[in-house]
Amino acid sequence: MNRSYKTLAIGVLACVLVLALTPYVWMLLTSFKGRLDILSPQPTWFFTPTLSNYPAVFIDKEYLPLVYNSLAISLGSTALSILIGAPAAYVFARTDFAGKEDLFFFFLTTRMAPPVSIAVPLFLFFTTLGLTDTIYAVVIAHTSFNLSLVVWMMRGFFAEIPKEIDEAAMMDGRSKFGAFVRVIVPLAAPGLAATAVLCFILSWNEFLYAFILVAFEGRPLTVGIPGLITPHGTLWGQVAAVAVVATLPILVFTFLVQKHLVRGLTFGAVKG
Amino acid sequence: MTVSFRQVTKRFADGTTALDQLDLDFELGEFVVLLGPSGSGKTTACRLLAGLETPTSGRIEIDGKDVTEVPPRFRGIGMVFQNYALYSHKSVFENIAYPLRIRKLPASEIESQVKAVAGLLRIGDYLHRKPAQLSGGQAQRVAVARALVWEPAICLMDEPLSNLDALLRLHMRTELNRLHRKLDKTFVFVTHDQEEAMTLATRIAVLKDGRLVQFDEPRAIYRRPANRFVAEFMGRPAMNTIDGKVEGGVFRGGAIVCAVDCPDGPVTLGIRPEQIEFADAAAPGAVQLTVDVKEAIEPDTLLIFQNNGGAAVTLRTQKNCDVIEPGQPVGLSFPKDALHYFDAATGLRLA
Repeated sequence: MNRSYKTLAIGVLACVLVLALTPYVWMLLTSFKGRLDILSPQPTWFFTPTLSNYPAVFIDKEYLPLVYNSLAISLGSTALSILIGAPAAYVFARTDFAGKEDLFFFFLTTRMAPPVSIAVPLFLFFTTLGLTDTIYAVVIAHTSFNLSLVVWMMRGFFAEIPKEIDEAAMMDGRSKFGAFVRVIVPLAAPGLAATAVLCFILSWNEFLYAFILVAFEGRPLTVGIPGLITPHGTLWGQVAAVAVVATLPILVFTFLVQKHLVRGLTFGAVKG
Repeated sequence: MTVSFRQVTKRFADGTTALDQLDLDFELGEFVVLLGPSGSGKTTACRLLAGLETPTSGRIEIDGKDVTEVPPRFRGIGMVFQNYALYSHKSVFENIAYPLRIRKLPASEIESQVKAVAGLLRIGDYLHRKPAQLSGGQAQRVAVARALVWEPAICLMDEPLSNLDALLRLHMRTELNRLHRKLDKTFVFVTHDQEEAMTLATRIAVLKDGRLVQFDEPRAIYRRPANRFVAEFMGRPAMNTIDGKVEGGVFRGGAIVCAVDCPDGPVTLGIRPEQIEFADAAAPGAVQLTVDVKEAIEPDTLLIFQNNGGAAVTLRTQKNCDVIEPGQPVGLSFPKDALHYFDAATGLRLA
């Protein structure tokens, strides 16, 4: 790679980075600003920081359980999606049956409709089941879109493992299911982890379904934020505080698994 | 203990018939080699015995018991795969120990059995490594060790040597021979390499297009091939097969004329390259052919002759051929007792 190309690349990356990070940094700063600084007509980088926004929203407004709700929904949906999706992906990777590729494509079509188009049917569906305003409704709704992701990504990971490995495990004494659980799953662990993190992030960030399906008890953080838009004005400092807390796990997870994440996404896309 | 294939047919979903009514019986302690070109059904036969495939029709019996529907883990068979199929996330020790772990043996016993089999295969120094840190030959030994550690009565090997380089392949071949003599086990070995088959097998099953062509000891297969296909498949260079006609005890095919013990009519004459002899062109029964190509593969020399438009004739000799050049005519004789006769239409051996 020659030098001018490298300089150009760094320049482009820097621009993208600034564009992407400025709002985030602004949000971070806002969460430490007092109400006057926030609403000041002259935006400023330097101000007297305050920590009051955090206790104000998480203690006084009792937003702390929302963190728990968000975690429960994301972890629940991720676990459910992997539990159902991984065996399905394994079958897609290993077995030939009539209509296999059509069925595989069908999994993808579940993601093609705009989410809002199935929001009302989903609401009616969960009302009939009596699950509205529980986290279970959101877990199931999120699983509906995470499942296709798991099937599509994990098929590629499983296909990468030679099928002789399954067969060797069966010759060594495992049943077909035993070979999958005890040998193939551990071998696909990096891919499984990447897929799980992606599911977790998608579910954690999701707003629309959660907003429609739960109003009070089962609210995750994303649904909590609009609650801070009051008739007396938007509490920007608290909105920012909730948003900062909401982005923390995503940041941590992404840093932990970014290597696998990139690999998982490209393999899933190419080999699927 | 015996293994029997009874009228076993395997058709795949795409319509190809991999095995066609295979009948095959062999005994404990044999080293059976399934030999054939690609697409002959040899790997399918091996996988059917392993239980990794189910036959479309027919039965497979071990010790008189029908195992056709029995899953692999209850068949008492170990297997070595062409690509070794080692568990890359486990150490060599754990790879070998895995069949024992599944059988929940006590740790001390696992340790001693793994060490014993590792010693047998000379991989005792690599037990702590991961499969990725092994050479091809070492990985191969680990795969064999894993297949043998739990002492199955039968060990299957699906082209285990074909991923190794030539030298290592010869070495592993010798090792397998040694192993078979040492252990009282049945080995079933799949290969397309006739030399491997000749050196390893107690009996060779030659397969072609899903059918068993011949099942016999290596020597018998070499000396009395059941048909033209086996004759041409066994031995390098291949047996010469010359199409022609017999009239009054004399065979004519291209420029070749020789005395034969064969009834009149069209026939395919077979003779091994090393059994053609030099002869004085004037001597009775001698034929003169022109050298087309000379290949010196010391200590042997291969002389390939043109036969008037017919298939080329190859001669292999250890005699000094320094004076013979391409384009030169050479006198040859075809000794009667070295000749094989095959039906011109079906290729089957005559007499």
